[in-house]
Amino acid sequence: MPIELLIQALLNGFGLAVVYILVALGLTLIFSILEVINFAHGEFYMLGGFAAYYLSAVGGLNYVATLVLAMLLVGLAGVVAERLVFRHLRGKTLNAFIVSLGLLWVLQATAQLSFGVLDKSVPSAVSGIVRLGGVIVSRERMFVILTAVALIVGLYLFLKFTRIGQAMRAVAQDAEAAALQGVNIELTSALGFGLGCALAGAAGALLAPIFAVSPTMGALPVVKAFIIIIVGGMGSLPGAVLGGLLLGAVEGVGTLFMSSAAVNILGFLMVIAILLLRPRGLLGAA
Amino acid sequence: MRMHRSIATLATLAFAAALSGGGAVQAEDKTLTIGLLGPLSGGAASYGVELMRGAELRVEEINKGGGLKVGADIYRIKLVSYDHKAQAADTATATNKLIFQDKVKYIIGNAVGATCNAAQTITEPNKVMFAFVCWGTNNLAPEKPYSFRSMLSQWELAEPFYRWVKENHPTIKRVAAISPNDTSGKDTNTAVVKALKALGFEVAADEYYERGTKDFYPVLTKILAQKPDMIDVAAAPPGEAGLILKQAMELGFKGAKGWTAGINPFTIISVAGPEAAEGVWSPANINVKGDHVSPAVRKFGETYEKRYGEVPGAIAVANYAAFDVFTQAMQKAGSIDTDRVLAVITKEQFQTVWGPLALGGKETYGIDRQFLYPLVISEVRQGKVVDIAQVLPAALKKK
Repeated sequence: MPIELLIQALLNGFGLAVVYILVALGLTLIFSILEVINFAHGEFYMLGGFAAYYLSAVGGLNYVATLVLAMLLVGLAGVVAERLVFRHLRGKTLNAFIVSLGLLWVLQATAQLSFGVLDKSVPSAVSGIVRLGGVIVSRERMFVILTAVALIVGLYLFLKFTRIGQAMRAVAQDAEAAALQGVNIELTSALGFGLGCALAGAAGALLAPIFAVSPTMGALPVVKAFIIIIVGGMGSLPGAVLGGLLLGAVEGVGTLFMSSAAVNILGFLMVIAILLLRPRGLLGAA
Repeated sequence: MRMHRSIATLATLAFAAALSGGGAVQAEDKTLTIGLLGPLSGGAASYGVELMRGAELRVEEINKGGGLKVGADIYRIKLVSYDHKAQAADTATATNKLIFQDKVKYIIGNAVGATCNAAQTITEPNKVMFAFVCWGTNNLAPEKPYSFRSMLSQWELAEPFYRWVKENHPTIKRVAAISPNDTSGKDTNTAVVKALKALGFEVAADEYYERGTKDFYPVLTKILAQKPDMIDVAAAPPGEAGLILKQAMELGFKGAKGWTAGINPFTIISVAGPEAAEGVWSPANINVKGDHVSPAVRKFGETYEKRYGEVPGAIAVANYAAFDVFTQAMQKAGSIDTDRVLAVITKEQFQTVWGPLALGGKETYGIDRQFLYPLVISEVRQGKVVDIAQVLPAALKKK
């Protein structure tokens, strides 16, 4: 097999995986802080896509401003969802699970009624391709990858060095102890949920020009995100990054040897193997 | 994922039922309830939307004209539609609802081959007349006498299309075909590959992807490594076909582009963008604004565009025509009994927006249940759809 083909396949896999890592990071952040598995997380990704459509394709806003606004709007929607729904379900995993499925239903059906069911395209921020020997990378995907990496690094720095970020980590480790130290649990939870949703919104807005947007677009990324966080370790941010890169490599290279249907199974095989051999995930806490 | 999908499906069905009034069995004697199935959401949603709009326009015309006179009775037509999201399991549920809850004896409209097979396991034993635009080869068969295809399929289109390609673009030697990994896709690629081989082309790739795929870089990397002169996004629905062409362009593909099942190139332009869609040939399209269509099709197109703000493709026209044929057959039979209507459809002549209806297909399917009409090859040029040739399917040539 030509080495260029292998590199191209790996790049294809990593390119998309980086964006799914954003979705997974949001999901795992919410789980860490609220102990809620948000099955409606893909719908916040969808909202990010539609925000990009209405701001950029309809409103004519430039793409960077669109991305920032999409994150803010979806983050705000996340804060509202936390205040109205998930705050009352902290630690009640089963109840939250059922409620998040209901929210998925509501958001998807509302989107179908509000935005229509047909795919909508969003103009590209950049165009053209870069050839590196026999490997081709579109400038649009490079922009998406670099932006996603910047957001991942930004999230790491935010959680590591800012006061509110440290508060989120404290709540994730032990909410009661954090409260005793004066951390405002309610505010931290709302901001954490909003930040998690904003990351999903960023992913949706980033991929909107590459893929068309539609009310059902959230189904696939949330499945990928669950695979990523199970492989990487529930609640582990570095684990989500590692899980995403692994999934991208396996799916990217797998496509060279097998059908797309078979490739879709690979991620689930990884999940089964991890749950059997290392249930806490690669980098999850024991 | 299963939970995710099933909940979403329930949600969609519940909304579809609420919107259509499904769930309440119509009790009036003089109301004829006609069912419609289709992907009304997801990547193939444009098919379902066109089916529904084509049906809506014909139903409104009939009802505004005082109803459908069948024998001594006058029926107002009520349309009940359900979204199956191109999923066979959802289709079986929706078909059961139509037949046993809404009590329909006619389902006029469905798309995506696998869903037609699922529906037929229920329509045929219950003698429900079923017209569709599904492209599954086995959607028409002697053991399925109540089933009709109202639009040309891959078996009528692929051979004349590639004969035209060979005659007009002799530099094209290697063709890659890509379709969804289901009945429609498999059957379409099979017909395309058969036509390619029969006409002396090389098959550079015969590839499949899962419906709902958004990222085609992996499969396109594999296809482009085979250096095709032309890519045929054979049975891909508009949303996915548009993404394939856009991403193929991003990966440096500059060859010819075909869309054997391309029933509405306007939709592919909106997703792929004018640059990636430039030059796409579609043999299945009906350009309602073109010179090759009848005044009736042109008028239908004008009404449709005025009403919905979009240009209709072949699916909308086909379903409008199917409604026309079935309702005319009821009138000629003087009954809404499906056996009596079936006997009339296969014997009498009907006028439709296509012109006089020709039924054929026995050589391919073993039974004459395929609507036949001339096909028009169109090309996307600078964001517009231009008709460039009209050719006849082999079955119609013989008639």
